[in-house]
Amino acid sequence: MAADSEPESEVFEITDFTTASEWERFISKVEEVLNDWKLIGNSLGKPLEKKGIFFLARAGFEPATSSTWSQRPTPLSHRSHPFRATHLKLFYQRKVKQGQANIFVDVIPQSMQDLLCMNNDFPPRAHCLVRWYGLREFLVIAPAAHSDAVLSESKCNLLLSSVSIALGNTGCQVPLFVQIHHKWRRMYVGECQGPGVRTDFEMVHLRKVPNQYTHLSGLLDVFKSKIGCPLTPLPPVSIAIRFTYVLQDWQQYFWPQQPPDIDALVGGEVGGLEFGKLPFGACEDPISELHLATTWPHLTEGIIVDNDVYSNLTPRLQPSLLFGRPRLDLNPPAQVGDFVTEFFKICRRKESTDEILGRSTFEEEGREIADITHALSKLTEPAPVPIHKLSVSNMVHTAKKKIRKHRGVEESPLNNDVLNTILLFLFPDAASEKPLDETTSVDNNPPSESEDYNLYNQFKSAPSDSLTYKLALCLCMINFYHGGLKGVAHLWQEFVLEMRFRWENNFLIPGLANGPPDLRCCLLHQKLQMLNCCIERKKARDEGRKPSTSDTVANTYPGDAGKAGDQVGSDSVKDTDKEKGDTGKSWDSWSDSEEEYFECLSDTEELKGNGQESGKKGGHKEMANLKPEGRLYQHGKLTLLHTGEPLYIPVTQEPAPMTEDLLEEQSEVLAKLGTSAEGAHLRARMQSACLLSDMESFKAANPGCVLEDFVRWYSPRDYVEEEVIDEKGNMVLKGELSARMKIPSNMWVEAWETAKPIPARRQRRLFDDTREAEKVLHYFAIQKPADLARHLLPCVIHAAVLKVKEEEIEILENISSVKKIIKQIISHSSKVLHFPNPEDKKLEEIIHQITNVEALIARARSLKAKFGTEKCEQEEEKEDLERFVSCLLEQPEVLVTGAGRGHAGRIIHKLFVNAQRAAAMAPPEDELKRMGSLEERRQNSVSDFPPPAGREFILRTTVPRPAPYSKALPQRMYGVLTKEDFRLAGAFSSDTSFF
Amino acid sequence: MDEDVLTTLKILIIGESGVGKSSLLLRFTDDTFDPELAATIGVDFKVKTISVDGNKAKLAIWDTAGQERFRTLTPSYYRGAQGVILVYDVTRRDTFVKLDNWLNELETYCTRNDIVNMLVGNKIDKENREVDRNEGLKFARKHSMLFIEASAKTCDGVQCAFEELVEKIIQTPGLWESENQNKGVKLSHSEEGSGGGACGGYCSVL
Repeated sequence: MAADSEPESEVFEITDFTTASEWERFISKVEEVLNDWKLIGNSLGKPLEKKGIFFLARAGFEPATSSTWSQRPTPLSHRSHPFRATHLKLFYQRKVKQGQANIFVDVIPQSMQDLLCMNNDFPPRAHCLVRWYGLREFLVIAPAAHSDAVLSESKCNLLLSSVSIALGNTGCQVPLFVQIHHKWRRMYVGECQGPGVRTDFEMVHLRKVPNQYTHLSGLLDVFKSKIGCPLTPLPPVSIAIRFTYVLQDWQQYFWPQQPPDIDALVGGEVGGLEFGKLPFGACEDPISELHLATTWPHLTEGIIVDNDVYSNLTPRLQPSLLFGRPRLDLNPPAQVGDFVTEFFKICRRKESTDEILGRSTFEEEGREIADITHALSKLTEPAPVPIHKLSVSNMVHTAKKKIRKHRGVEESPLNNDVLNTILLFLFPDAASEKPLDETTSVDNNPPSESEDYNLYNQFKSAPSDSLTYKLALCLCMINFYHGGLKGVAHLWQEFVLEMRFRWENNFLIPGLANGPPDLRCCLLHQKLQMLNCCIERKKARDEGRKPSTSDTVANTYPGDAGKAGDQVGSDSVKDTDKEKGDTGKSWDSWSDSEEEYFECLSDTEELKGNGQESGKKGGHKEMANLKPEGRLYQHGKLTLLHTGEPLYIPVTQEPAPMTEDLLEEQSEVLAKLGTSAEGAHLRARMQSACLLSDMESFKAANPGCVLEDFVRWYSPRDYVEEEVIDEKGNMVLKGELSARMKIPSNMWVEAWETAKPIPARRQRRLFDDTREAEKVLHYFAIQKPADLARHLLPCVIHAAVLKVKEEEIEILENISSVKKIIKQIISHSSKVLHFPNPEDKKLEEIIHQITNVEALIARARSLKAKFGTEKCEQEEEKEDLERFVSCLLEQPEVLVTGAGRGHAGRIIHKLFVNAQRAAAMAPPEDELKRMGSLEERRQNSVSDFPPPAGREFILRTTVPRPAPYSKALPQRMYGVLTKEDFRLAGAFSSDTSFF
Repeated sequence: MDEDVLTTLKILIIGESGVGKSSLLLRFTDDTFDPELAATIGVDFKVKTISVDGNKAKLAIWDTAGQERFRTLTPSYYRGAQGVILVYDVTRRDTFVKLDNWLNELETYCTRNDIVNMLVGNKIDKENREVDRNEGLKFARKHSMLFIEASAKTCDGVQCAFEELVEKIIQTPGLWESENQNKGVKLSHSEEGSGGGACGGYCSVL
């Protein structure tokens, strides 16, 4: 390798390792790493990759005691280092320079060439070493923990010499840095070795800028004295300068968004609508400052003057780069994000509803004694507003009363009015005079087939107009504004009460699509749909039973509302039973008796007689005499084979609706039966209830029918028809059952034989709605707030994404990245949320993504307001501005085209002028006057721009070092001067062959 | 028993009644053929472990009834399936024509969209073929499915069909391996703390 030729390496070619010291071992470990990472030898000619791609690898090793350095360095994420205090970290980063492909075939290492390369000056986002030295590849060895900082000078030197030795031994041409002093100071020293050349990287870091170095000429002096070049005159020093101006004062531009008015909600004046929307955006201006950087990319010494007396570096004439730096909070200010995050936190709470509400009772009682104002408010507490005509809300009120009786009025975590508003929002049918009927639920059917509407499919949440979705949003709101976890528990309790009430009184739940549970939605939504199915069936049954008294059960409350309201929990079942028994209504819906019919008619007796009769006699001839029942409609042209009567499709029982957990259970049961023949048989039998029920209905509807008739309707392909020539030579269609249907005692034949002609409405119910409803209600009751939050999180995420989408459409059409990110979020969450128990980490990730998009949009909004894109009248300029703003959002830095003369440039200039004037406390009247005349403004002592917040200088030259006959090598010094930071980073190369 | 099984896959067999779904399954699991197999009621279930490319996969195969009436029941079983075998009878055109309905159903009830679909034309041993192989091929291509013709009776293509399906599922990692998706090298460049992170402007302005 190249290292062999180096003089230094000879000294260290000792092969006696017996007395190896810690540092020697350290060196060998560094070498090992360099070898492992294949950094040895010439690093020239590596293909440059796209800008912005970083490769990270990290490894740790221990210089002191027993080696843990057995792991191979692999790419690790930042924080996961298993090493402790005494360990050092090796940090390898291959920085790829921006889009430059100038590969020199030269002897000096690439990093030395990089020192002079101007293409990487002032990179917008880069590691500080890149910024300071223009490097594209380097290694850093930094202490693993903050407490391990290398502080003493001798240790620093020891470290640096170890590195130097390691570099020499391996022939690695990548510069290697060691971090010294406290981490926050970002002090690095380093070295780079090439064949016969060496570059030392040195650094000075001070809190205050020394007076003599506050300007370019002072820095030039340092640079020249550091080079110590024996040549006279010195080759010219090339200079690149960048000044940054910070705009922080946004006085003229009020942040338009007000935080939501919580009091308005409490006051009850704001309708429930507010609960259905997540607040969006940032409450504070998300852009706290804008930076304007002006660059002189290539100057030679002597062209400009910048000393303590005079400077001709003024920003106006230079091509400027502007970059907006968003607020540097760790958490971007985003309300949607906050909401979801807070909601997500509930998932981790372990308390049950009772625990939460119960404890609150205790706590608040204690507080009450101490707090007199609380006691006063108790006296003045307004009574709940009675809404007489509303049956459902009556119930809600009474239910609440009941809860309060236990808890004491003022202890309920949710304000009464808030609760009412929410309940009215969730159950809008409570507000209408009419009790809920079919039409209301029809209204709730999907209004659109749009992509947005079907998003619930992806999130496994619920349609955005559904009760579940609204509930999720309300809980989210309550969690944020009204009582947190307690509020959530309280609302859920109320909700469950309402559900029970609706079940008991045959009120359909609004905001749910009709039909069986939609398995694409979240489980809670399915459960609600299930409950609705139960209510629907119970209602149909009750109404069917009492057709004459239509104005009773379904429409009004039994007894007075107070009584009904007093029933809570399991007791209520009994109570209601009794009560209903008293009033003689809907008793049967509660019966646990054997005879549960799918539907009941008043002429039960008569029909029962029929059924029994036919059951006894059997045979199609007798049955043909029976009165057909339960016909739905006539089946096309088919006629019964034996009687020639038209074949009727019977009314059948609907198959039992299932939620996904029930299905899971069922399929588990079915699967458990195993794959044996008996298992299969048992499985078929278990599932034949539906078949049997259909056969019975069919028999009832088609007296005198045979299995062939049934099969022709039910499974037409199992009735084989053939054209045969009969005795007379005519073509005749002859049909028979398929072979598989003719297998003796197969399940179909068996079922057919046992089936009695009973119409669906008198059959045993396939679906026990009472039991299923109670199961659902029980399930609801045992859900802890955490469970609830988990159930509803998909809905909340769904809502957040919708909100972000909506805002995005409203505000900016032209920010492509937002659209892309939203799409990513959706596809990402659809992957995560479809699994039964998504990991917290992944959920957090999604929430984080949403928060970021929101912040991005808020920033866009802020920038648009600042640059007045809306106000811009000229179409072309407006377009330019919009492009400029969207670039600001997406790129770390944007070139202000036309500098101060361009449209954007003028606006920026104005912003600075305004800020300057505001800073000088100029009264607004003067302001206007001064705006008038440019000249006047010039004369004014207040300059357009504030003093630069930071000044950066890069000084470069190529001179022979250390002796005049040495090779001419790149020298560079970077200096940055700000208010409380002064840093000089120098890279000085010297010839190691000819000195 | 399950120690070296890579994954358990849920596979669903659907199609019109009498096209030979249960027969295909029986041929695959038990390697037998029963001309007098009773019509399925509801759903039936079989398990088989197969090895594809050295990966062992346990298949839980749900066989469904094709009758219209049972169809209200079966969509429930689409949930969580990774693969679907859609069967038609090459000797009965109507079973081929109805494929569109089945695909609709699949689209409606499947909880995931990357599920692997396979089209199987069964009963190729029979004389009176009504659906040409090319038609099946065309249909499968149109709906991006796997396609094979088979005969449960003569054993043609049955094993191959299941193997192909499983292989395809295993090649679609997100479909069966929930843990390892979204994995990959994280590209990032900022260092922890202030140690040397990316800085946009001046370090001190931070």
